[in-house]
Amino acid sequence: MVGGFSILLWIGAAFSWISFGIQFAQGAESPFDNLYLGVVLALVVILTGIFAYYQEAKSTNIMASFSKMIPQQALVIRDAEKKELPADQLVVGDIVEIKGGDRIPADIRLIFTQGCKVDNSSLTGESEPQSRSCDFTHENPLETRNIAFYSTTCVEGTATGIVINTGDRTIIGRIASLASGVGNGKTPIAIEIEHFVYLVAGVAISIGVLFFIISVSMRYKILDSIIFLIGIIVANVPEGLLATVTVSLSLTAKRMAKKNCLVKNLEAVETLGSTSIICSDKTGTLTQNRMTVAHLWFDDQIYSADTSEDQTTQPFDQSSQTWTALSKIVTLCNRAEFRPGQENLPVMKRVVVGDASETALLKFAEVVLGDVMDIRARNKKVAEIPFNSTNKFQLSIHETDDRNDKRFLLVMKGAPERILERCSTIMINGKEEPLDSEKAEAFQTAYMELGGMGERVLGFCHLYLPENEFPDTYPFDTDSMNFPTSNLCFVGLLSMIDPPRSTVPDAVSKCRSAGIKVIMVTGDHPITAKAIAKSVGIISATSETVEDMAKRLNVPVERVDRRQATAAVVNGMELKDMSLQQLDEVLCNHSEIVFARTSPQQKLIIVEGCQRQGAVVAVTGDGVNDSPALKKADIGIAMGIAGSDAAKNAADMVLLDDNFASIVTGVEEGRLIFDNLKKTIAYTLTKNIAELCPFLIYIIASIPMPIGTITILFIDLGTDIIPSVALAYEKAESDIMNRRPRNKSKDRLVNEQLAVYSYLHIGIMQSVGAFVTYFTVYAEQGFLPTTLLGVRVNWESNAINDFEDSYGQEWTKYQRTYLQWTGYTAFFVSITIQQVADLIIRKTRRNSIFQQGLFRNKVIWVGIFSQIGIALILTYGLGHVTALNFTPLRFQYWFVAVPFAILIWVYDEVRKLFIRRYPGSWWDKNMYY
Amino acid sequence: MATLSEKKTCSERMENFRRFIWNPETKQFMGRTLINWVWISLYYLAFYVVMTGLFSLSLYSLMRTLNPYEPDYQDQLKSPGVTLRPDVFGERGLQIYYNVSDNKTWDGFITTLQTFLTAYTPAAQHLNINCTSDTYFIQDTFDGPNKTKLSCKFTSDMLQNCSGLTDPTFGFPEGKPCLIIKMNRIIKFYPGNGTAPRVDCTYVGDDSRPLEVDYYPVNGTFNLHYFPYYGKKAQPTYTNPLVAVKLLNITRNEEFKIVCRVVGTGIISDNVHDPYEGKVEFRLKIDD
Repeated sequence: MVGGFSILLWIGAAFSWISFGIQFAQGAESPFDNLYLGVVLALVVILTGIFAYYQEAKSTNIMASFSKMIPQQALVIRDAEKKELPADQLVVGDIVEIKGGDRIPADIRLIFTQGCKVDNSSLTGESEPQSRSCDFTHENPLETRNIAFYSTTCVEGTATGIVINTGDRTIIGRIASLASGVGNGKTPIAIEIEHFVYLVAGVAISIGVLFFIISVSMRYKILDSIIFLIGIIVANVPEGLLATVTVSLSLTAKRMAKKNCLVKNLEAVETLGSTSIICSDKTGTLTQNRMTVAHLWFDDQIYSADTSEDQTTQPFDQSSQTWTALSKIVTLCNRAEFRPGQENLPVMKRVVVGDASETALLKFAEVVLGDVMDIRARNKKVAEIPFNSTNKFQLSIHETDDRNDKRFLLVMKGAPERILERCSTIMINGKEEPLDSEKAEAFQTAYMELGGMGERVLGFCHLYLPENEFPDTYPFDTDSMNFPTSNLCFVGLLSMIDPPRSTVPDAVSKCRSAGIKVIMVTGDHPITAKAIAKSVGIISATSETVEDMAKRLNVPVERVDRRQATAAVVNGMELKDMSLQQLDEVLCNHSEIVFARTSPQQKLIIVEGCQRQGAVVAVTGDGVNDSPALKKADIGIAMGIAGSDAAKNAADMVLLDDNFASIVTGVEEGRLIFDNLKKTIAYTLTKNIAELCPFLIYIIASIPMPIGTITILFIDLGTDIIPSVALAYEKAESDIMNRRPRNKSKDRLVNEQLAVYSYLHIGIMQSVGAFVTYFTVYAEQGFLPTTLLGVRVNWESNAINDFEDSYGQEWTKYQRTYLQWTGYTAFFVSITIQQVADLIIRKTRRNSIFQQGLFRNKVIWVGIFSQIGIALILTYGLGHVTALNFTPLRFQYWFVAVPFAILIWVYDEVRKLFIRRYPGSWWDKNMYY
Repeated sequence: MATLSEKKTCSERMENFRRFIWNPETKQFMGRTLINWVWISLYYLAFYVVMTGLFSLSLYSLMRTLNPYEPDYQDQLKSPGVTLRPDVFGERGLQIYYNVSDNKTWDGFITTLQTFLTAYTPAAQHLNINCTSDTYFIQDTFDGPNKTKLSCKFTSDMLQNCSGLTDPTFGFPEGKPCLIIKMNRIIKFYPGNGTAPRVDCTYVGDDSRPLEVDYYPVNGTFNLHYFPYYGKKAQPTYTNPLVAVKLLNITRNEEFKIVCRVVGTGIISDNVHDPYEGKVEFRLKIDD
């Protein structure tokens, strides 16, 4: 993004050297100025280049992570022998053996399995381990059960398989190459900067050429005209700006990192701000990625449980006897355990050994009842049947903690309908009542309701075994099931869900007011997806899907007007059959969209669909399979906790806490930096005019040169750098999350108003102020303004050493040159002083400075003090180094431009006042940048 | 990062540009309607009129604060510069190269000197008074006509042999050229602290060989009654006192570097940056 300016500066440097060469050949007295100038210009370009290269080099190579993923060793059967081989020596046809914990060394087709389960999360993003067998079950290699993929892990069991693909030809390798193949285009901010470079370069070149022609036709020597051209180019190019932009972006990136958004690509900082659609994952991003008990049903009533992240108690009514029974079942019929040594941690944060549902129940019980392990110890377990997919229940038998009660307690949990089948009674208010059809109906209603909320429902029942039939010593045998498993007493239902993160609904509504569409893309069931979408506000309370409308109006789905439905839940299977046009229609017509049961590949299609609408799309993802979509998106956001390395590499940003709300804070920062960059650029552009005017007037009016090229570089790369970075710390003027995302093609970073206001209003005022100082200095030393007009040739002549001033005194060449440098210094000081005013007015674009607060941004003051400090050092500290063309300036000349600085402030306050008073007026349209 | 292709074909660009120049739908010329252009022009007109006014006002008030007789500061004029006539400025500074037998090579020098001395004819000096005292001519009051101060006469005949009156060729054909040394005017500068400053010419870098020189007026002094200078407004007819240097014995066909210093208290001639402060250096070569 540095290209344009570099070329201009190279041209300037080349011209400097050419004119040095010519002057040197002609034997002129001091041609070295131009040599130095050329060297300085070249240095500026080279340093900026190195800076840019350094930034580029930091962005990582996506392929690098794939080499890291290669497992070290694989167990291969070759030549009837088992061998340990490095995995990269595998060839197609090798037979490999895998056991639990191994990483799969290549794509393999399984020929023998024993309880084999693989974790495909790095590939598909599905977190549940999937069982593998030798059976061919699906045409699609990703769906069939007899293929295990490279880079996934075997969680349990063993398997043997034949290698069918290796290296880059594996499924994951292909995704990787797809990811690196997706074009890496320009970021919105890069486009904006390019636009700005074009604009400034256009101004520089056209003014340069215009004045080259003017000076040639005014009979200046070609060499002089070339030197003017260099001056004009140097004055016009904001040398320090690109470094400033980079620094501002990295400051914002740092700030975002503190808010858990790690930005890999600096330019992505702003891209996030212009985002208009966020395609978010559900699990982990919108939700807590933790099953939690959400509802309970007992005594024919549904109770809600607290699902927040930091629950310590449960508020529902716990007085009923039924709850006592139910809680006992929940506690005892559970194999999950806390890992030891976590007594001091909050319950919700403790690590549990066990599957997701059991974990949820354990934590729920621990919160409500207290020490679960102690309860289990008091109710000793005598027999147990673990959950399996054929039984669909889990059962255990316990002694009771009541010493007088010698009965055994049988507790059971499982799929609600299966549990109900085994029950003949139901507990209501602590009393067993026969399970009649009316009660069964109530159960069904509750079950449907909880299921309809997308929750996973479990049924619980128990039975006290009669003491006479089952005495103390009764030998329970779980294989022959020598105990009753039917005619039990139904106690209640518990439903679990992965609840939304508590900060998410807020974040979603923020997105909504910021005009950002949030689309949920998940592999989950549509009902669950919709329930979560509703609870976080992605589907708002009042809006309906087509299906909802059909249900409400009681008409078939086909007859509903699709346009009236604001929300849509699109199933992955439907998406598969959609044409691009149909997808566009869905994206266009519905403001609230949930894509359920989608595969990560479909994410790419969704992203492309959104981009076809002209949106700037942010996409979250964690699996390897997501990396093409992450690459394709305008801004790819990888999950820091759940994300795979490949996803993190493909992404532009990594969310350290996996939290959707962090994206929204990121958006806010991105918007702020766009606004602040505008201010920075306006600030930087302004003084260009004050640097340019001296050349123009020098050429036209032939006055002594008001400011030198080296001095200009000292402003651009010295005094102005810190203040322009300081503007990056400016707070937002209004709630930036209450306006729509910027329109890529209309809301430019540098628009006409900004350029015109900076160049033709403030810039002109600065020039006037600086020229007044210039004339004051010359007049007080003996050269009145009228004397100065047209003196250029004699003034610069080395032969004239008795140059007469307005008072009749005579000056040698060096005395005049020294005065000229004093003029440079005075001009420089005036620009600096007025840039202080410029810095202050740029704090806001619409609000009054007094609304914004003059002292809220402390860094601005650092900027102001640094600006003045550097100017003081240059004038008084380095004032005796002749090569720098600074002289120790008389102190009062620092104040000549102050009235103009005040004028600039007042003028800008008036501008802002009218903009606020008359929104939409002619003034607003022309003056607001 | 995504591809945001902004590629446009050339014809599209041209079409966009034409639409920018004149958009028939919105009747916009270069992005604005006609009335809008009028408004914006009026605004800018007013804005620039005000800015010009402010600028003029600033300069006007600046002029009001200035003293018409002398400048507020003389930061750069601590010590006067010294110049030489004839002043032919070549690639390596002041050069006086000529051939005795070829009058075209020295005609220019003579013309320069004669032209320079026209300001010192009795006619040109008739407004100035004759001064005889050898002390500073301090005037605290305006004794001259029209609120001016008096200036002392300096006529070319004071340069005697180098006046151009007795020898209109200034000794050039004989190889004994006259050169005129002038000290720059500085307001209220008192050179020499009571003793008249004088000109002293030597070879540069060769102190052993003395340079044979005749100075006019005698001793090559600038008489103190020409100082101090009170400025153009107070002394409109003031002319700088001069010292003529007649180089007597210059070896022919050899280039010399000669420096003429003005010696006197308060006159600095060792400023490394300024070769013309308190002294003037030149190269001289007289061919046969």
